[in-house]
Amino acid sequence: MFDHILDPTGQSQRTAVQERAVARRLPSLAGARVGLLDNTKKNAAPLLAELGRLLEREHGATVTIQRTKHAFAFPVDDPLLKEIAAVSDVVVTGVGDCGSCSASAAADGIAFERAGLPTAVICSDAFEVTARAMADVHGDAEFEFLLTPHPVAVLNPDQVKARAKELLPVVVARVTEQASR
Amino acid sequence: MTEQALDGADAAELTELACKSIEYVYERGWTDGLPVVPPTRARADEFLATTSRPADEVIGRLDHLKREVTVELAAINAIMAGCLPEHFPVVLAAWDALMLERAVVGGGWQSTSGPAPLIVVNGPVRQRLGFNSTGGVFGPGFRANATVARAIGLIVRNALGVVPHVLEQATQGIPGRWAQCIAENEEESPWEPLSVDGGVTAGCDAVSTTLLRTSEYIDNRHTDDPEKVLADFADTLSRTGSWIFRNASAGVVFCPEHAQLLAKAGMSKEDVRTWLVERCGRPKADFHRVGKSLNAQGRRGDHEDAELEGFDPMFSEDSPKHLPIVVAGARNAGISMVVRLFSGTGWSGISARVEKPRNG
Repeated sequence: MFDHILDPTGQSQRTAVQERAVARRLPSLAGARVGLLDNTKKNAAPLLAELGRLLEREHGATVTIQRTKHAFAFPVDDPLLKEIAAVSDVVVTGVGDCGSCSASAAADGIAFERAGLPTAVICSDAFEVTARAMADVHGDAEFEFLLTPHPVAVLNPDQVKARAKELLPVVVARVTEQASR
Repeated sequence: MTEQALDGADAAELTELACKSIEYVYERGWTDGLPVVPPTRARADEFLATTSRPADEVIGRLDHLKREVTVELAAINAIMAGCLPEHFPVVLAAWDALMLERAVVGGGWQSTSGPAPLIVVNGPVRQRLGFNSTGGVFGPGFRANATVARAIGLIVRNALGVVPHVLEQATQGIPGRWAQCIAENEEESPWEPLSVDGGVTAGCDAVSTTLLRTSEYIDNRHTDDPEKVLADFADTLSRTGSWIFRNASAGVVFCPEHAQLLAKAGMSKEDVRTWLVERCGRPKADFHRVGKSLNAQGRRGDHEDAELEGFDPMFSEDSPKHLPIVVAGARNAGISMVVRLFSGTGWSGISARVEKPRNG
């Protein structure tokens, strides 16, 4: 009845293509090269660095590269993605801890998975909905990211270490065949 | 069907249909919470006839969200906001000015700070379209002011897809969000209009805009000493709560009484800005007290080894981009507004021209 009312979104003619972004998981992390990508948010770099140390110490992986995103609000750019992909077998990235950066973290995970790298995206649980919405925008509404309790920015160094320890098993499960066994 | 030809029953039925069409737009999730005018093809064509720009011209895009805004989508949302066709060139100019803001094409709309544009209209278009520049300038009550600001909000919501609780993640958002369109009171301002700072010749229709985080009043009807009045502004400007980076930016919307008091004391707009830039800021110890001291890398935080001696200046430079000054409101009291700019780098410093009416 109201078909004559115009669509203000410009989306009615478009059909979004959805395609799961899932790279092949590693059998184990022993000898695996780990790339870390932090998004400049407070505590992101130390949290990822601590996760890297734990992956090395407890799982025999090697951190080959740790980079910082050029702009937290935007998905990872192609040159940076390629730089990390060239020397990594798995990627750990985050921390989604704001409106735009949580959304972009989900997009980053999808981009790395599409480049063939199993990726653990860490996101504050306060931003689950926006990360999920962004995953949908980037063509994989069911993309799996790892949630950690909010807030992350105000944690002290010891609390950051404890948080990394809590996250370790889910990060390992996310990038290896462990979860599907 | 003419109005005269409708009998009471028909008119009631049409009104009921109009209400249903408004409800239809609600059901589609296209409103900001208030009723909108349902947009039709005929109405959109009337809006598009007010500009020389093609309907399919892309006037904004957010690649990371895979969304774009065309002139036609802007028109549809302006209709919904309650604009008249003649308001549309002002909406387009406001949008153009907004797209020059770095934060807007970054992740600004998705930010937890929930910013919104302050839109400032200059030139004869104010009178021609009835923009309020005097009493109660921050609204509501004036169709031009209210609907132009609302149109921008609907474009962001609908065309860019930044919907609250989904891709829009405002913690609280700012009061007056999508409702802040003011005209400058050029008639009672002792200074050049903001659009001149934005590079447009005085007397031309222009729109300037920047994202705000909030507004705070300064009520000073207590002295005619210009330095004491400005010191009152400096105190509000310098509060720590609004600082998150090394420096901060803010604007002042002076009421005519304050502006005239300062001008009478011989101060130009530049003098006022320089006075404030030189004095706004806080002792470093104040920042340490609130966990926002500056470290060697220039980041604020609860640094234990922070320097306690010295002073952190608020503004990184003395320019209209970092401290834009506008005159608006009634000349009936010394009540002005400090406006907090969202971006640490301030306003773009560029005003957009409003396209002239296309008669004929």
